[in-house]
Amino acid sequence: MDELELLKKDWKKKDQDYPKLSYNEIYKMILKKSSSIVKWIFIISLLEFVFWSVISFALKDSKFVEQAKDLNMNNILIPITIISYAILIYFFYLFYKNYRNIISTDTTKRLMENILKTRRTVKYYVYFNLVALVVSTIIGVFYSFNNDTNVSLQLEQASANGEVFKVYALFIAVTILLLAVVIGVLLLFYWLVYGILLKRLNKNYRELKKLEV
Amino acid sequence: MNKELEHSFVELLEKHQNIVHKVCRLYTNNYDAHNDLFQEITIQLWKAYPKFRGDAKFSTWMYRVGLNTAITLYRKSKRIINTQGFEQVQFKIKAEDYDDTEEQQLKLLYKAVHQLNDIEKALVFLYLEDKNYREISETMGISEVNARVKMNRVKTKLRTILNP
Repeated sequence: MDELELLKKDWKKKDQDYPKLSYNEIYKMILKKSSSIVKWIFIISLLEFVFWSVISFALKDSKFVEQAKDLNMNNILIPITIISYAILIYFFYLFYKNYRNIISTDTTKRLMENILKTRRTVKYYVYFNLVALVVSTIIGVFYSFNNDTNVSLQLEQASANGEVFKVYALFIAVTILLLAVVIGVLLLFYWLVYGILLKRLNKNYRELKKLEV
Repeated sequence: MNKELEHSFVELLEKHQNIVHKVCRLYTNNYDAHNDLFQEITIQLWKAYPKFRGDAKFSTWMYRVGLNTAITLYRKSKRIINTQGFEQVQFKIKAEDYDDTEEQQLKLLYKAVHQLNDIEKALVFLYLEDKNYREISETMGISEVNARVKMNRVKTKLRTILNP
């Protein structure tokens, strides 16, 4: 006999062997809180949005911006601020829309896709912020080379000593190193958090996708 | 209104609770984990219940939410991963003990099913519950042809596990 047929016969026979929960036991269960991965993804994503918003707010009042003002960077800073808020709102709208689409009564495949989509939205937001970080650092460095009196003074001194290339190289190397460390730490953090959270989902999604090849 | 909703939901679930128990049986291997998953499926069912308009049978709808929770939404807690499953203990059978009775074969079969991956378990579960390929395809979101092909592969895999 087919193995599964044998199993089915027994499966049906055991139908009465399951525990019987009472009305009250089930009632108590619906009052408890879910601990599904969707909830965790939602919480972590919100934290990410908050994290990046706080960073941009903090930078607004920082020395960096004071300096930028001195360097006549306002014509760049104001549009950048407006654009970044617009982008934050857009990403948040997408995230919320995706989150609302996660419905446990969907087919397994649709459900998985919708969860991965909310995750992807936040991932793109993080990438966007990292790229923005790199671009603004490059602009900042470029401006200080050209406009910052302190820096140009140093450069003048260096060129008098014939070390101008060394100063440039050091400046750029330190900037790159700092950026690399910051980005590395952030990416490692995301990789760990989502890696743990989505390990099973990713594995199962791959299994389901494999069926279609 | 909310009380009414709660009442009708709990009554329906009490009546059909076996479906949830069966999902838990396939996807967990000890008492604590079984209860934990049962709890999460119940919450997911309850969350989705206001949208349940009776256009699908409650039980049909339970299969979906139950499997989706087990495969996708549920997060095993650490406490549970580390405990050894009673079924695993029960089914540790030495080769020399094996006599070809149906009982023994069944034990090995259940053990083999537990070794399948989450998606394969879902297919087996729906098959054991007499769902046809159309229903399987509608629950999982894969085509009927793919469901059929995969089912045959699962049968082969079970055979390989049983007769290595």
